[in-house]
Amino acid sequence: MSHPVASSSLWGRLLRRWHAWATIGPGVGFIILFLVIPSFMLMAVAFMTQGPYGLAQMPLSLQSFRELAGFGFFGWSPGNLYTLWRSVWQTTIATALVIVISYPIAYYISTRPAHLQPLLLLIVIVPSWTNQVIRAFAWMNILAPGSALTNFAYNLGFLSEYMGLFPSTFAVVLGLVYNFLPFMVLPLYASFQNLDHRLIHAARDLYAPPVKAFFQAVFPQTLPGLMAGTVLVSIPAFGMYVIPDLLGGGRSQMIGNLVARQFAESSNWPLGAAAAMLMIVATLVGLLILRRIGRRAGGGKEVVL
Amino acid sequence: MKRRIPWFQVGLRGFWYLTLLFLYVPLVYVVLYSFNAANSYARFPGFSLRWYETMLANPYLMGALYNSVVLALTSAVIATAIGAVLGYGMYRYREMKLGWLIWFIYLPIVMPDIVYGISQMTFFVTIHDLTGLLRPSLTTMIIAHVSFQVPFVALLIYSQLVRMDPLLFEATQDLYAAPLQRAWFFVLPAIRASLISGFFLSITLSIDDFVISFFTSGPDSTTLPIFIWSAIKRGVTPEINAISALMIFAVFSAALIIYVFQRVRPSRDPGTA
Repeated sequence: MSHPVASSSLWGRLLRRWHAWATIGPGVGFIILFLVIPSFMLMAVAFMTQGPYGLAQMPLSLQSFRELAGFGFFGWSPGNLYTLWRSVWQTTIATALVIVISYPIAYYISTRPAHLQPLLLLIVIVPSWTNQVIRAFAWMNILAPGSALTNFAYNLGFLSEYMGLFPSTFAVVLGLVYNFLPFMVLPLYASFQNLDHRLIHAARDLYAPPVKAFFQAVFPQTLPGLMAGTVLVSIPAFGMYVIPDLLGGGRSQMIGNLVARQFAESSNWPLGAAAAMLMIVATLVGLLILRRIGRRAGGGKEVVL
Repeated sequence: MKRRIPWFQVGLRGFWYLTLLFLYVPLVYVVLYSFNAANSYARFPGFSLRWYETMLANPYLMGALYNSVVLALTSAVIATAIGAVLGYGMYRYREMKLGWLIWFIYLPIVMPDIVYGISQMTFFVTIHDLTGLLRPSLTTMIIAHVSFQVPFVALLIYSQLVRMDPLLFEATQDLYAAPLQRAWFFVLPAIRASLISGFFLSITLSIDDFVISFFTSGPDSTTLPIFIWSAIKRGVTPEINAISALMIFAVFSAALIIYVFQRVRPSRDPGTA
C-alpha cells in the first residue's frame, strides 16, 4: 500500500504512525491490560503463600509447588500426579477417537457438490456453539440411570442395575469427543479439498489394497490438516474443566478441575496458580512433541505451527 | 483401471448420518424433554408448555436471562468496534514490522479457558482490593468477554480486507477522498458483511462461554450458563430443559444469520467485485 501524498513528508510519516497506533492500539492494549498483565499476576500468585482465606499473600515461597508435587500436611500423596497423568491419557484417547471419526466425515463433505459443502460444515460445527454446560447437561440426561441408552447397556450386560452410564470415565471421553469433533473435521476438510486424486488413482491402478492406498496416497496429503486438528483438539481437551466436572466422578477429574477447585471450593490460590502453570508447561511440552511427530511423519517438513 | 466400490460410498453416507445422529440427538433430547408433561426423564406422557411457564415465573431465571442478554449484546457491540478497528489497522500496516502483534491476537484464542478465567479473576480481585474499582460484576464479565471476542472480529475483518483489490484503496486516494469519507463510503461498506458476522460470532462466543464467565462474575451477575450450572449442582428441575432449549434456539438462529452474511455476493460487494 503506497501513500503518495501522506508519506512524502515528515509530517505525513508522523500522521501515519499515529494512525497505526490509533487503530491497532485499542485492541492490543485491551488484550495486554486485561489478559497479558493478569496472566503475569497469576504467575506471581504461584510464588506466594496461602493466606487465611485462601487468598495469596507475602512472603514469596515455593510452598505451592511442593503441595502440587504432593507434599502435604499428611506426608506425600500421588493424587495430583495421578490427575496429571489421567488428563494426558483421557485427552489421548479422546483425540484418537476424534481422528477416527473425522477422517470419513471430512472426506464425505469434500466429495459433496461444492455449493453444499459450507452448509454441511456448518451442520457439523453449530452444535459446538451451544453452551458447553448445556451440552454436558444433555449427555447427563442421556446417560442417566433409567434412560433408554442406559437400559440398553444394562440389557447387553455392560452395567449393573440402577447404575447410570455417568459419572464415569467413559462419559468424560464421550463428552470430549462430542465437544471437539468439529475442531478436527474443519482442518481435515481443508486438506481433503486440496487432495490430489490422481495419486489415489495411481495407487489403485498399481493394485494397492485400499488400506495401503490410504496410507501411501491419502494420508501424507492430509497430514497438515491432521496435525492442525490434533493441536486444536488435544490442547483445549487437556485443559477441559466443565466436562470432567459434570460427567466424571472423582476418579476421572482432570487438571483443569484441580485448578478450578483451588479457586472455587477449597480456596488455595497459590496452589491453583501453580497447577495452572503446570498445565501451561504440559501444554507447551505437548505442542513440542506434536511438532516433532509432525516433522518426522512429514519427512522433515514443518507441518505443524 | 478403476474398480467401483459402491459399498464404500454407502458406508460413508451411513457413517455421515450416524455422526449427525451423535451430534444432534443430545440437543434434540433436551428440546424434546422441555415439552414433557411429566417431571421425569423416564416417561413422556404428552406435550406441555408447563416448564416454559414455570421458567417465566422464576424471577432468578429471568434475572439470569436478562444478565445474559445484556452481557452478550454489550460485549458484542464493544468487541465489534474495537475488533474492526484492529483488523483494519492490521491490514493497513501489515508491511510494518508488526509480526509480534499476532501473538497478542492469538493469545486469547489459544489460552485454556480455565487459566484465562482465573487470571482475570485474580486481576479483578486484586485491582478491587487496591482501588475499589472493578468489583466482580456484570462490568468485569463484559470486559472479560470483550477480551476474547476482539481477536475473532479482528481476524474476520482482516481476512475480508486482504481478499479485496488493493488498487481500490489507491483509487479512493486518487479521487481525493478525505480519510473519514473513505472510511464511511468505502471501508465500511466493504467490510459490512464481516462486521455483521463478527457481531453475531461475538454473540455466540458470549453465549457459549461458561468458564470465563463463572470466574469473573459477581454474586449479582448470574448469567444463564451459571444458573444452569448451579441448578445441575443442586439437582435439576425440568425448567432447565426449557431454558436450555431457548439457548439452543438462539445459537442456531445466530448461526443461520452468520451463514447468510458470510456468503458474500460478488456482484453487490465492492470488496470482491
